[in-house]
Amino acid sequence: MASQQLLRERGRKGKGVALSEADTTLVEEEDDHTVSGASRRQSSLERKLNSDKASAAIVGVLTALAFITRFYKINNPDQVVFDEVHFGKFAAHYIQREYYFDVHPPFAKLLFGLAGWFVGFDGHFQFENIGDSYTDAHVPYVGMRALPAILGSLTVPVVYAIMKESGYSTVVSAFSAILILLDNAHVAQSRLILLDATLIFFMSLTIYSYIRFRKYRFIEFSQEWWGWLIATGVFMACTWASKVNGILTVVCIGIAVLADLWDLLDYRKSSMERFWNHFLARAVGLILVPLVVYLTFFWIHFAVLTNSGPGDTFMSPAFQETLRGNELLLNSQEIRYYDTVTIKHKNTKVFLHSHWERYPLKYEDGRISSQGQQVTGYGHPDSNNNWQIIPTKALPETGRARVVRHDDVIQLLHVNTQSYLLTHDVASPLMPTNQEFTTWPKDDHSRYNDTLFQLHLVDAHDGEAWKSKSGHFRLVHVPTKVSMWTYQNQLPDWAFKQQEVNGNKNAAEKTATWYVDEIVDSEADPSLPDRTGEVAVKEPKKLNFFKKFGELQILMLQHNAGLTASHPYASSPINWPFLLSGISFWTNADEQKQIYLIGNLIGWWTCVTAIAVFIGIIGADLLARRRNIEPIPDPVRNRLWNNTGFFVLVWAVHYFPFFLMSRQLFIHHYLPSHLASALVAGSVLHYILSDDTINYPISVRSATMKPKRPLYADLGMRGPVTVIAFAFALFCLYVYMAPLTYGTPGLDGHQVNARRLLSTWTLHFAAKPTDGA
Amino acid sequence: MEHVPPAIYTLLSCWTRFHKIGKAPYVIWDEAHFGKFGSHYLKREFYFDVHPPLGKMLVGLAGLLSGYDGSFEFKSGEQYPETVPYVAMRVLMAMFGVVMVPLGWYTAVELGMSQWACHLVAIMVLCGKSPSQSPVYVAWLCISRFILLDSMLLAFTFSTVFGLSKFHNQQYQSFSFDWWLWLAFTGVSIGCVASVKWIGLFVMALVGLYTIEDLWEKFGDVKMSVQDQLRHWGARVLCLIVLPALVYMASFKIHFLVLNHSGPGDSQMSSLFQANLVGNDFAKNPLDIAYGSKLTLKNMGWGGGLLHSHVQTYPVGSNQQQVTCYHYKDENNDWIIMPRWDEPDYDPNGELRFLKDGDVIRLQHASTTRNLHSHSIPAPVTKLNNEVSCYGNATIGDYHDYWEVEVVDDIKRGRKEKFVTIHSLTTRLRFRHQDSGCYLRAANAILPQWGFKQVEVSCDKENNPKDIHTYWNVESHWNDRLPPGDAKFYRSPFFRDFIHLNVAMWTSNNALIPDPDKEDILASKPTDWPWLRLGLRMCGWGDQQTKYYLLGTPVIWWGGTTSLIVFLVTLGVYLLRQQRKYVDMEPREWDHFLYVGKIAFIGWFLHYFPFMIMGRVTYVHHYLPTLYFSVLLFAHLLDHFIFSSRRFTDRTKWIAFGVVAFLIVGNFWWFRGLAFGIDGPIHEHWGLQWRKTWNIYNQL
Repeated sequence: MASQQLLRERGRKGKGVALSEADTTLVEEEDDHTVSGASRRQSSLERKLNSDKASAAIVGVLTALAFITRFYKINNPDQVVFDEVHFGKFAAHYIQREYYFDVHPPFAKLLFGLAGWFVGFDGHFQFENIGDSYTDAHVPYVGMRALPAILGSLTVPVVYAIMKESGYSTVVSAFSAILILLDNAHVAQSRLILLDATLIFFMSLTIYSYIRFRKYRFIEFSQEWWGWLIATGVFMACTWASKVNGILTVVCIGIAVLADLWDLLDYRKSSMERFWNHFLARAVGLILVPLVVYLTFFWIHFAVLTNSGPGDTFMSPAFQETLRGNELLLNSQEIRYYDTVTIKHKNTKVFLHSHWERYPLKYEDGRISSQGQQVTGYGHPDSNNNWQIIPTKALPETGRARVVRHDDVIQLLHVNTQSYLLTHDVASPLMPTNQEFTTWPKDDHSRYNDTLFQLHLVDAHDGEAWKSKSGHFRLVHVPTKVSMWTYQNQLPDWAFKQQEVNGNKNAAEKTATWYVDEIVDSEADPSLPDRTGEVAVKEPKKLNFFKKFGELQILMLQHNAGLTASHPYASSPINWPFLLSGISFWTNADEQKQIYLIGNLIGWWTCVTAIAVFIGIIGADLLARRRNIEPIPDPVRNRLWNNTGFFVLVWAVHYFPFFLMSRQLFIHHYLPSHLASALVAGSVLHYILSDDTINYPISVRSATMKPKRPLYADLGMRGPVTVIAFAFALFCLYVYMAPLTYGTPGLDGHQVNARRLLSTWTLHFAAKPTDGA
Repeated sequence: MEHVPPAIYTLLSCWTRFHKIGKAPYVIWDEAHFGKFGSHYLKREFYFDVHPPLGKMLVGLAGLLSGYDGSFEFKSGEQYPETVPYVAMRVLMAMFGVVMVPLGWYTAVELGMSQWACHLVAIMVLCGKSPSQSPVYVAWLCISRFILLDSMLLAFTFSTVFGLSKFHNQQYQSFSFDWWLWLAFTGVSIGCVASVKWIGLFVMALVGLYTIEDLWEKFGDVKMSVQDQLRHWGARVLCLIVLPALVYMASFKIHFLVLNHSGPGDSQMSSLFQANLVGNDFAKNPLDIAYGSKLTLKNMGWGGGLLHSHVQTYPVGSNQQQVTCYHYKDENNDWIIMPRWDEPDYDPNGELRFLKDGDVIRLQHASTTRNLHSHSIPAPVTKLNNEVSCYGNATIGDYHDYWEVEVVDDIKRGRKEKFVTIHSLTTRLRFRHQDSGCYLRAANAILPQWGFKQVEVSCDKENNPKDIHTYWNVESHWNDRLPPGDAKFYRSPFFRDFIHLNVAMWTSNNALIPDPDKEDILASKPTDWPWLRLGLRMCGWGDQQTKYYLLGTPVIWWGGTTSLIVFLVTLGVYLLRQQRKYVDMEPREWDHFLYVGKIAFIGWFLHYFPFMIMGRVTYVHHYLPTLYFSVLLFAHLLDHFIFSSRRFTDRTKWIAFGVVAFLIVGNFWWFRGLAFGIDGPIHEHWGLQWRKTWNIYNQL
């Protein structure tokens, strides 16, 4: 659809008027260069190829092929593949309207929800494990997979259009498009319920719109100028809202805009008034509009997800109470002194537990314990989880003063053993740096001070009442200031492999958060409302949208940074451009089928070579200029810097930040960069084949400007021949690797070995290497 | 006359550094650490440490000059006996602190700062970092850490910047004697700073960037002859690359020459190196390896360790017993050569059977009796390789325990065709897992905390015959039935030992990553530093105790950090104004503003930013070199805005100078108690809590 629109645009403007230096404005005077050797005429072949008809035909063929490659056997496998586990499930949550939590913004997932709803998915299937069958569960998964497949297919004409708009000839534009079209990684990634196809599609649209916008720079503030500016903003917001790493596209456009503004600030070019107008226009188009769009997606997200779901527990109590059917909303109760309660750790979901058994005198590593009664974390309901809250101040007989409040100092009495919770300066069993938790008999007052704990409710105001479920708290020991804490580490057999509870010296430790799960028993107080028995259904509370958004956004960032667990297929960014590792998405042992995410080796290596060549050309040019030699004619050089340079910027901005991230990284994080590198490859190919000829001018001229004599790029026969030969090689490798991309047909061990082009690829079902190999 | 102020400042710094230097007759702070290394040099015993040797050799030298014999153990907190001339040693070490002050002064002069700014730099260096730099004030301490080396690191960082600024001022007298002198001085300083700690490489990066810019300018000078171009390039390569490398290597050469006795660091080095140390008995090992021999296996890769196993199991993969590479001597490194399961059991009284190329054996771990085992489960870190574990016991096992011995060659006897039996130390072996065809390999990949940060051992499925990380040799060898050997060994070449030790240092350094399960109250995050977010209690906080608190001088830290921001803003404003064609400065002034700003700001950035992305544990003293650059920038900005400005009269400048100097000195005096020790209950001292995050007072 997008492509046809582009073609119509082009058709209207006519030949030779289009196409741009993307990044920085050229000083208008400089445009008038005469170039030795630059052709002012085109060969007939070139003219034919660059006619609108030929261009339309080629883009049509490429788009058709894109749809074929993306939709071929899209129903295979009829099982949950890789991260469909997550994103399919999220779509189901939208349909069920159950609240969930994820690190990525909601736009792409909303689209999946919409697609699922459209094809009649009822949201009951839970996408539990990779390999679960869709057919058995009657899930209309093909419809859901069609969405990324459509977007992934449309990316191909958009890439073509970007190149075409940048002033490259049809064959070179087709070359870049083919690099994406016949790339196994792009294909594999867009045939499944994954976010990347959406991300890449909108990212390429952002680049396209920005280039269109730049081409209207000579008729600033015109309708088209505004149109493409706002389009850039909107697409940018969609990119960002598809996946967190879409933020890199925003950064990238931001850098380009700053360079542009810096240029406009030049006193020779504009008055301050003109500069401020430009500045404000960009602030509106590229900050305000995207922000509104981005927030809108979240607004829809919250508007759809109104019921309680698996994401509840990530959120703050105030947030949770806005969800229908949430446990907090239904069961949160004020806690009073002498209530007997069970206490649960927020992160690991274990109950605070104690039993008659004692710590062994001597641990394996030779350290000595207090031999006190064990205090542990236990995952299951048990009467040993019951603790009674004992006041440390005088209480009235009845009334509101019996409610436990923020900052109160309390004692916790373990009901079954009638002993108080205590901690002291003895090392805990597993962590010598942390304090041991134990208990002390109720009747023995000798260590009264060590049994005092202060209750710190999280984010509470003075005098706030402690509530069950919603009142998250830290329990800080009064004499030693340690926080009661637990973590996923089991004690040895002497504590029945229960979880260790100890005192963390960082009293403000975030993971030392607990809450009261249930009020087990309480003394009746006629003056206060009864808390037991059935509660009436409560209406969800309201919370300001911006508060909800702010909370969710911060949690998303925190969790994203926290995804550091190792994953067998995670890889470090340095491997990506060279395609050193892939990801096993899915396997089927019976038929020896597998889906392995790996790119087209020829294509990827071409792209990375192109970047190296570009850096080489630019470096050589800089060195030569330093010595007053100018090997590259100015128009070609401007195109190289401003247009190819912009593509390289897109590549670099989408790639290098990953080196600074400590979260787990996968090769599909490189796909946006790979797209940018395909653009670079096209323009480098143009540079190599064109004998310093370019299409010029390509920006739209204002009526008052003196018309320029046009220049034309001419690749001659070399262009089509090179691109066809290359496309053929790419196609052969693509087809050869296709069984790994489409997950069918199955391969025997030797076939798998033959497809393991690099020794670092970890394919399944490989035959054992023969001896002496 | 021009040398009078620096002389006075030097005397002052002598006073602050030497004042009460002998007050605490205990081993304090990191004296425990580096005193011990110094002793090793005096006793000439080989030790291992993650830092290059120059700093510790200087400690040893200080000990030698003061007449210390190296016999003291330097246990933290212990009282010095009569025999240890600790005061003399401390004075010698504190010299590095003293020398920073004149260096700071002259650097400021060379950077073209006004007299006022030079005074401020000297005062700031004098007052800035007293607590942590002069360990003596800090008194006895519960914990020992690395700070002593930092005063040397700082001194050499200062001298590098000084050399650079001197060299810069010679730029119009290329190839003159002074030009060569200061270029070479810079090079030697870089060599020294890098030989104290690898952090010194950051200042090398600063010099490198300066040089690249300089050469880029020269490259654009088309009038310069090609010959001169080449001479400029050659001079830089010689003085800034070759010379530092020589200094760095020389420090290692001396290190090896001095430490020629066997000591605690032996096992970090190759077997051959160890065999040449005095006191080593490898030469007495029986020569030929036989079935039933107990032996240790050394990996021959750079930085390789001994094949090791211990009762702890893998928490991932097979959950069987861990196999690692370990760099210390321990009986868990011992393995016994056993016949296969399908062969008759090893008979201790039967005929001796020597090991030869192609034999398929079982390697039994001596202390747990489990067998070296591998299977097609991915290794924990190098996931492409198979896991290696210990499995079964003396009677239980399977064919996964079989390893085929492949002889590569013998260092002494040459190609493998020339001999039959396998010798300890010299024969290079590979172990091939018979079932899966993979090779036993250890390549400096560090296991997580559950593996005690030891080196991972895996089984490499790719047969790469040139990969020395798959080469092993027998190190220790015990067999009562064989006669003791009497071998003479080649000395291992210096270059090999040099690379080997550097790789080993790198590997251990990488293992110093923060342990999430362990709380280290000394560690802090880089983001805590610029604004002095945290201070540190260095001893008990009782009312009767003298209390010491580690804290910088706030005015200097905050002033330095503020100047970084001010500099960026100023630079931005100037550039914007230039873009709008406002002329604020003459080109010469602008160049000077940029030059000093670049040295200071880029220097700060290079010394700060890497810590943000480094995975290892960071301490506040890592910020000290960084602080120096922010001090320079602070003075530079004051100079730019006030002292060198034409808008102000001398009177105004005097007042401004007086205010800033008073603030710094007053601030230092205000907090002097923290460094000199606070007596009596802390609540009687008022006004020390300038930030909420400092824990000077007890909070209830």
